[in-house]
Amino acid sequence: MRFEYKLMMGAGVFLATICIIYGFWSQEATGTVLLLFGCAAYVLVAVYLLMQWRRRQGVDRPEDRMDAEQSDGAGEVGFFPAASIWPAAIGIGGIFAGVALIYGTWYWVIAGVFIFGGVIGFTVEGEAREE
Amino acid sequence: MSATQERLAPPRAAGGYGPEPLLEIIPSPRPRGLVKFITSTDHKQIGLNYMVTAFAAFLVAGIMAELMRTQLIVPDNHFLVADTYNQLVTMHGTIMLFVFGGPFAFGLANYIVPLQIGAPDMAFPRFNNLSYWLYLGGFVVMMFGFLTNNGAADFGWFGYAPLTEAIHSPGPGADMWVVGIALTGFSGIFTAVNVITTVFTLRAPGMVMFRMPIFTWNQLVTMFLVLLAFPVLTAAMALLWCDRHLTTHFYAPSGGGQPILWQNLFWFFGHPEVYILALPYFGVVTEVISTMSKKPVFGYKGMVAATLSIGGLSMGVWAHHMYTTGAVLLPFFAALSLLIAVPTGIKFFNWIGTMWQGVITLSTSMLFCLGFLGLFLLGGITGVMLAEPPLDFQLHDTYFVIAHFHYVMIGATAFGAFAAIYYWFPKFTGRMLDERIGRISFAIIFIGVNLTFFPQHDLGLRGMQRRIFTYSSFEGWNFLNLLSSIGAYLIGIGTLFTVINLIMSVRQGRIAGDNPWDGQTLEWATSSPPPEHNFELLPPIRSERPLWDANHPDQLTEVGH
Repeated sequence: MRFEYKLMMGAGVFLATICIIYGFWSQEATGTVLLLFGCAAYVLVAVYLLMQWRRRQGVDRPEDRMDAEQSDGAGEVGFFPAASIWPAAIGIGGIFAGVALIYGTWYWVIAGVFIFGGVIGFTVEGEAREE
Repeated sequence: MSATQERLAPPRAAGGYGPEPLLEIIPSPRPRGLVKFITSTDHKQIGLNYMVTAFAAFLVAGIMAELMRTQLIVPDNHFLVADTYNQLVTMHGTIMLFVFGGPFAFGLANYIVPLQIGAPDMAFPRFNNLSYWLYLGGFVVMMFGFLTNNGAADFGWFGYAPLTEAIHSPGPGADMWVVGIALTGFSGIFTAVNVITTVFTLRAPGMVMFRMPIFTWNQLVTMFLVLLAFPVLTAAMALLWCDRHLTTHFYAPSGGGQPILWQNLFWFFGHPEVYILALPYFGVVTEVISTMSKKPVFGYKGMVAATLSIGGLSMGVWAHHMYTTGAVLLPFFAALSLLIAVPTGIKFFNWIGTMWQGVITLSTSMLFCLGFLGLFLLGGITGVMLAEPPLDFQLHDTYFVIAHFHYVMIGATAFGAFAAIYYWFPKFTGRMLDERIGRISFAIIFIGVNLTFFPQHDLGLRGMQRRIFTYSSFEGWNFLNLLSSIGAYLIGIGTLFTVINLIMSVRQGRIAGDNPWDGQTLEWATSSPPPEHNFELLPPIRSERPLWDANHPDQLTEVGH
């Protein structure tokens, strides 16, 4: 966790530096704003990682320890859903939404149906595992 | 049914990697055929989907390039009309960059990264599936442009304003380009989130960050760049759409807009994008060279540092595409652009260091990597030349830039992709590709690439502008263009050899076994193709090449160099 945090924070600090140099030197707005927001994006992730690290009270995970055995990682790794049709449904909805941006109103209806249905299916499927 | 993956500590494995415990797999029923293609959340299936689609896109855009070269083979040619030529130029660039180069690397990331870090799957499997569909949708929508009245987008792959405004580029073709790129942009962002989360949270015990293979490192840094660059692109596309449909004037000077704003936004995406297309393939090359030389990567930490600094610097060089606008800070961008050659040089040094005194196997994948070293070096040197403003003012928008760019992109992206195909095909399918056909394919492509693009340096120096659809014979460009077109056909023929090889070997290739190349990293520790959730048992991870240590206990990797 700590190394990942440093990596993200490093990227953020680097962009902040570039942003300050570029901003003062060029007086150009677009690039300065983009660099600033890029920096903010990385710092956001870095801060989240730092919070996670704090929550673990500084205890390294098995994947952060040089001498970890496979057995140290015993226990639940995560939930990995099996095949699911819903991502494809949302994807098709997304594509129709794109087409709607070109050809207009009617396609929004089709896109809406796919996305709405897909999101419901996706969520219900996610809840089903709790039982 | 879904499976909750658990790592258990079972008894000692018979014939395994010693006392290390197993990963127990709770199997779930697997759909087959088309249903599997559509619904699978397995990172390997999605990775293959990506790679097959991207390779198909490579062939489509390649055919466009052949048509363009056929138009330019002789002066005053009328093989294509000007408008069709413009559409082909635009779509060739767009597809190669957005639909082949990046997504093929995303496919590799999907397939290989979880295997290399000992993870059972990607962190968000369904999200992963969704990003594939958005990508495929983007490709299809873009291609549908050719079926509309005014044809596909025809303003060049970087779509400069105000040419992209509705009044100059009417019709849905241009909109399809906008929407298609936005969809692939979303897909890229999703993949980046997924890969970064996977690398941060799903590594096997003992796989600390500084033991990850260089390929995984490079993919991680690439995804950092994607996370920064793709949202900017998608936002730029959204603004362009508003300009075209909602009569806003972000880019249209007629309403007080700023065409330079588009250039800044596009290249703020566009330059990291070039490294998004290159870094994953640097990773591929590192893996192949290390495996085929039977040596660990020379200067592992230096390699990681070089990747990180390329990633960092690439965010500060975007306006070197815009020198001639007169609206950019020349010394800043020239300095950073020249600086980025340093970490790239470190990488070259380390690749050569890895081969030094190694036991080198000249497999097809290794040949493509050696070809990569040559081509990318040439492209890199012309890149340093173009980073200098005085020279760039002379050569901007000439064929010199085309030659530079194609040396970089074919050198890194295409050769890297071919190397990856020849290297990991046994893992994907359980069968070997035919090495003999592969070598012939490499030889033809390598000669073809040089024959196509080397003359273009000279064409650029003689003043041939990019994107012109024909030229007159008095310009003195005839012979060089003829050479260039012949080279383009050779690339096509060479690629055809690989396509035939792929089709034949999927069904009839020699059975590969788990570890045909005596690989060093974890993807070779499982069966070919890997089972669902990847590993039945993992070797202990004590260095950056755990499998080598398990297979060659007499030549353990030195730790801490």
